[in-house]
Amino acid sequence: MVENNYFVKSFEESSLVIQLVWICIIVLVFSIIFIIIYLKYLRSLLRKNDLLKIKIEKEYEASVINYLYAGNEAEEISAEQQAIIDELKSNISETFKRDILISTLLKLSYEISGEMAESIHKLYIKTGLIDYSLSKLRNKKWNIIANGIRELTLFHVKEVQDQVKIHINHPKTEVRSAMQLYLVNLFHFEGLAFLNDITTPISEWDQIQLLEVLQLHKNQKVADIKSWLKSTNESVVLFALKLAKIYNQYGVKDELMALLNHKNIKIRVDVIPLLSHLSIIEAKIILKNNFKELSLEEQIAFFEMMENVYEKTDKPFIMEHILNPNFEIKFFALKILKNLNIDEFNCFKDLTSEPEFVRIVKYIESN
Amino acid sequence: MASLIHFLFFLYSFSIIGSYIILGIISVFETIEYMKKNKFVNYNKILSSNISPSISIIAPAYNESLNIIENVRSLLSLHYANYDVIIVNDGSKDDSLEKLIKAYNLVQVDFLINEQILTQPLRKGIYKSTNPAFEKLIVVDKENGGKADALNMGLNISTNKYVACIDVDCLLIEDALLKLIKPFLESIDKKVIAAGGVIRIANSCIIEQGKLLDINLPKKMLEKGQILEYLRAFLLGRMAWSRLNGLLVISGAFGLFDKKIAIGVGGYDTNTVGEDMEIIVRMRRYMEENKLKYKVAYIPDPLCWTEAPDNYKTFISQRNRWTRGTIETLRKHRKIGFNRKYNSMGILSYPYWFLFERMAPIVEVLGVIYFGYLIFNNEVRWDYIIGFVILAYLFTVLFSIIAIISEELTYHQYKKKGTGFKMIMIAFMEPFVIHPFILYAAIVGNKDYYFNKKKKWGAMTRKGMTKA
Amino acid sequence: MKKIVLAEDNSMLSMLLKFRLEKEGYTLFIAENGKETVELIEEHNPELILTDIMMPFISGLEVISHVRNKLNKQTPIIVFSASGQEEIVLKAFKLGATDFMSKPFSPNELVNRVKKILR
Repeated sequence: MVENNYFVKSFEESSLVIQLVWICIIVLVFSIIFIIIYLKYLRSLLRKNDLLKIKIEKEYEASVINYLYAGNEAEEISAEQQAIIDELKSNISETFKRDILISTLLKLSYEISGEMAESIHKLYIKTGLIDYSLSKLRNKKWNIIANGIRELTLFHVKEVQDQVKIHINHPKTEVRSAMQLYLVNLFHFEGLAFLNDITTPISEWDQIQLLEVLQLHKNQKVADIKSWLKSTNESVVLFALKLAKIYNQYGVKDELMALLNHKNIKIRVDVIPLLSHLSIIEAKIILKNNFKELSLEEQIAFFEMMENVYEKTDKPFIMEHILNPNFEIKFFALKILKNLNIDEFNCFKDLTSEPEFVRIVKYIESN
Repeated sequence: MASLIHFLFFLYSFSIIGSYIILGIISVFETIEYMKKNKFVNYNKILSSNISPSISIIAPAYNESLNIIENVRSLLSLHYANYDVIIVNDGSKDDSLEKLIKAYNLVQVDFLINEQILTQPLRKGIYKSTNPAFEKLIVVDKENGGKADALNMGLNISTNKYVACIDVDCLLIEDALLKLIKPFLESIDKKVIAAGGVIRIANSCIIEQGKLLDINLPKKMLEKGQILEYLRAFLLGRMAWSRLNGLLVISGAFGLFDKKIAIGVGGYDTNTVGEDMEIIVRMRRYMEENKLKYKVAYIPDPLCWTEAPDNYKTFISQRNRWTRGTIETLRKHRKIGFNRKYNSMGILSYPYWFLFERMAPIVEVLGVIYFGYLIFNNEVRWDYIIGFVILAYLFTVLFSIIAIISEELTYHQYKKKGTGFKMIMIAFMEPFVIHPFILYAAIVGNKDYYFNKKKKWGAMTRKGMTKA
Repeated sequence: MKKIVLAEDNSMLSMLLKFRLEKEGYTLFIAENGKETVELIEEHNPELILTDIMMPFISGLEVISHVRNKLNKQTPIIVFSASGQEEIVLKAFKLGATDFMSKPFSPNELVNRVKKILR
């Protein structure tokens, strides 16, 4: 009793600061106790969920495999398959289980194509998972919309394209890129029509994904990329350049040459190796004549191109650059000289004792 | 006068606590955003793409003969299409090179190096494999020059656009390159110059043939304490700095860089022991001075597992080195401190790092000395002292436990039963058991920096492939 | 009974293929990584090897190299991998692979090729 009073009395007598401090301390102690309890709860919940997830995953994996092999020769659903569908259907109202089922279906559908893949898509529709995905499209939150679109993409649901397309200019990049992937996954080159209208930039990450999806389907009729090469949206131009390289678009020669004068340096630099790849010799002449005005990056890219398209008439130009201060240009110039005319190369190889020059010559001689 | 001193101490304490709280809150929000964005990312497409940019992994190695074969094997089986692995054998005195040559069918090759950065010369030369399965491997044997010098050699040799600088015994998870290149490719208006991720502590984890099999909490207090410290720093600190575009350090254990800019600023500084922090600050300065929009990215995913010191001697030595590295870097770049021209780096990051990282141990020691003086003169206001010390202690504990909870809610790597309890115990014990050693190491670090130049420049710092 | 070793770390895919191939009368041994694959090959001496390229521990390419060069066996090897990647395909064939299928692939098609090789 005495102690209690002592503490309370000294508390009341202390300065405001000390009182505040002790109040904070009490608050902290209770907070710590509270979050320790929360931590314990959290860990056991996570552990329980993990075990449950593994168990359910196994069940669903087995169900799905059984479903795929329970079909009869005819096109309709066998009784066994229907039973599996019904059972899965009854489970999906819980988000936890629904997510596991989706990831189970996806685990397989990423790897396989053909009849089996279509069976899986049918299963997705029949179990009603599709309705959940559709409702996500109408949600307000951007990450939910993006997930909805992704699910519809992964299960090849073409019918809802109008509902997906409205998000074409959504402020969040994740939604826009999900939408773009939807269009390209399901409609391949026709899906690229959005490039005509898009004003927002497309990141490299998204571009690579789109290109990979396009390449999944061989023997495609490639879209006409001319208009995209002239787009005011620079990322569209860069994307079109990648398309031109992968699909060997010799027909767009003029548009590509025009890009040599584009205001964006990355475009100017990226176009050069493409011109080389397509063996567009006219470009060589233009670049050679403008060489002094080019930026260093463009100059290096040009020399790399020269390695493929050099001709005897280029020798004087090459000779001008065997002493170029830039290492890479020097290297290319000497290499080309050796290939052009080995005697002249031998003549000039001792031109200077500058160490870089000597090393380059030595390497070129033995390789 | 006394009141002034007290006032300054309290101001300092409240500022540091306040800044931890702010950084913690920002980190939490950033991490939630990141989880939302990346929950369903399909890395498979990028992984197999030939259009994805090429990366060179540069791993300096010094006397790593014991594990180098396995480490290299692990590096060669990452999930990424276009990359090579450049192992720089930095004048090792053991048989690392011979072992590598045998295991990977290496032969010496002629290689033209564009020496953009001056380094120690080659020793035995450059080797590549005759077996197509190991085509990605390049082994470079050079004269000893230290980690920074070896990394610079790697920068010279790489012909790829991006370089990943790592510690050779760091275990990278399979998707590490994919996850770390993503910020570079996703950014539209800003150029990403460097990116880093979370380093996890591998002590007591079961690693076999380069693969992480089982994650365990180590037994020693020292190791557990470091895990807690890393969780606090990574989960409640770095995410915030990334958001504020003020991240000054990417761990030397694993970081991805834009090669052109790294070479453009002159590569790593061989005269500092904190080369990982110093190069980031220099790269950032370069971008700021050239008025280019940029970002240093950070992702909260665990990408890399590394061994932390398990005895106090090594631990103190490591922290001593970190202290000296921080002092060196801050001193070298003092021009940017409080300088509006350098935006968030000058106004936020540098002051924070200077006041709350570099000066904190000094303030703490001064506080202890002053406290001793007060006791000696019988001037102690025990009610104040006890109150504040308890408050500071409880705050630290709370912060640590919040870090533990963040880890549970994000990556939940420590699943085994009983770990939660052990982590909580560490949260309570750490200020008594680990913190004094960190303080000690920092003070010795300061002393060494100012008074022991030999240590700074001498053989010790040059030779060892010291851990990040 | 013809034996097949399948190296695939996706448990659903390996389950699916196992089902299908066992229905055709083959015996399947499944490995989840390069190391297990090599062990199973050395233990059971299969008539055919199916392997994914990107696997933990040892890559599929190393498995091919091991079988052709270290074990000196001519067992037919079908490789599958994520699509594209011409370079990897070329490397696989250079090391001695028999056939190649890019993912996603049709399981029916794979079974047809297996039957053709093991006729």
